[in-house]
Amino acid sequence: MIHIENLTYTYPRAPRPALDHISLDIPQGQFCAVIGANGAGKTTLCYALTGFIPNFYRGKLEGRVQVAGRDVLTTPLSELAGEIGLVFDNPFNQITGARFSVREEVAFGLENLGVPREEMLARVEEVLARTGLAELAERSPFTLSGGQQQRLAIASVLVMRPQVLVLDEPTSQLDPVGTKEVFSVLRDLAATRETTIVLTEHKLEWVAVFADRVIALAEGRIVADGPPHQVLAAPDLERYGIGQTRYTQAARHAQARGLAAPDKPLPVTLEQAVAFFTSLMSVAEGDVMR
Amino acid sequence: MSSYAAFSLYVARESGLHRLHPLTKLALTGFCLFASLVLPGAWATYAAFGVILLPLAAWGQVLPLLLRAAWRTVLPFALSLFLIQGFFWTGGTPVLALGPLSLKREGVLFAIQSTGRILLIVSSFLLLSLSTRPDALMIALSQRGVPTGIAYIILATIQIVPRFQAKAATILDAQRSRGLETEGHLRQRFRALLPLIKPLVLGSIVDIEERAIALEARAFSRRGPKTSLLVLVDSPAQAAVRWLLLLAALALLAARLFRAI
Repeated sequence: MIHIENLTYTYPRAPRPALDHISLDIPQGQFCAVIGANGAGKTTLCYALTGFIPNFYRGKLEGRVQVAGRDVLTTPLSELAGEIGLVFDNPFNQITGARFSVREEVAFGLENLGVPREEMLARVEEVLARTGLAELAERSPFTLSGGQQQRLAIASVLVMRPQVLVLDEPTSQLDPVGTKEVFSVLRDLAATRETTIVLTEHKLEWVAVFADRVIALAEGRIVADGPPHQVLAAPDLERYGIGQTRYTQAARHAQARGLAAPDKPLPVTLEQAVAFFTSLMSVAEGDVMR
Repeated sequence: MSSYAAFSLYVARESGLHRLHPLTKLALTGFCLFASLVLPGAWATYAAFGVILLPLAAWGQVLPLLLRAAWRTVLPFALSLFLIQGFFWTGGTPVLALGPLSLKREGVLFAIQSTGRILLIVSSFLLLSLSTRPDALMIALSQRGVPTGIAYIILATIQIVPRFQAKAATILDAQRSRGLETEGHLRQRFRALLPLIKPLVLGSIVDIEERAIALEARAFSRRGPKTSLLVLVDSPAQAAVRWLLLLAALALLAARLFRAI
């Protein structure tokens, strides 16, 4: 579904490339998380997947990017919009301002695509239900909370039925409640396996639970690529400014104190952490009882 | 609270005026604009205001709102016109003496004529804004082939002021929390505004860029036929009225050119 070959991109007047020889294949239906320190190239990658680089931001670009069968670098943005959706971090700036109710805001993309009105009505209602916005359908988008606005942005893009959904730090400006709302929508979407999801995130605990695959970027290059339990527990990513989940950090503390074997696999989710520490407790009890 | 309240003058009413097609109301506004420039003499514009706009505003149940907004907008112009043109008209017939200055009849008439023009123009735009949803107008224009970009710019312009105000308030708060003194005598308050300008402008540029990206993500720049969730009701009668307004404007122009009026 996504095929990137040797992508190198430099912003205009920048001294260094923001993306450096990136090659990547993401199959259909996969939920792929992209992590990395600030400035590592995550947002640039999101723009490259959705065509804003180079069609919006200009700059120097080499390599190939193919998404949903289209060459992103040569296809106009208006054609890509229906196939590849983009949601970014600022909930307020994603309200178009062209429409004054949640329902109409969601329908706006379909209006631009020329979808017949009957079909529009049905699709909008369906997406409002999926994103939990049905009760807010008549409200003005400007009166919604951050989490609601971000779900509105997701709904406005999902209604166009893109094959790929790219989200660039969608929860960075949200409170914990808003974050939970957004991830719950993504969880349901991922379960259908209909849409390929690329998510840029700093909240690693959420990534660990939902992602099929984690790609770590540093200085424009891919430095790790694998399942969450592997990438998020990898010991050597700290030098790239990439953190670890709280569960992994706690487990490493236990290892450092000699409470756990050095080769024991580290947990990345709450469930894994419970299992990890429970097994340590049983070993400890076994010692005590001996 | 209405969805539109913060961002436009529109007020929802169950009125026939509101149910008219946006282009019909736009045509009326255009006619009033044209008439204000072509009608001769000082009083014809007031007559047009009274005969055309006031009854329509009453029909649209927005008469008090229209009068209040028109009064607030036109009064400053009227006052300054009266003072400047009245007292500083060169030559002319003095009517009243006030110390070294004298009020000239021609100046006062000119002030009355100009105020009448402003009144007709402003009120016709007010009537349009009060009775027409901005998104409905935008859809109506793009259905007739006006590029969506232009329609959007008109819509976005209406929204600029409240957005700027909100942003400025946030920036001022942030600056106050870092010790900026914003109260006190006038000069100090004015100086407090200067550090506001750069973050306001730069921040707004970033906002605009992100909003442009959001619009692109909704296929806004796609060429080709667009559909609409909102159904705009037009009728042959309204189309006829629009043509009549055009003819009336042309007749007015002809009459003026041939000095019939």
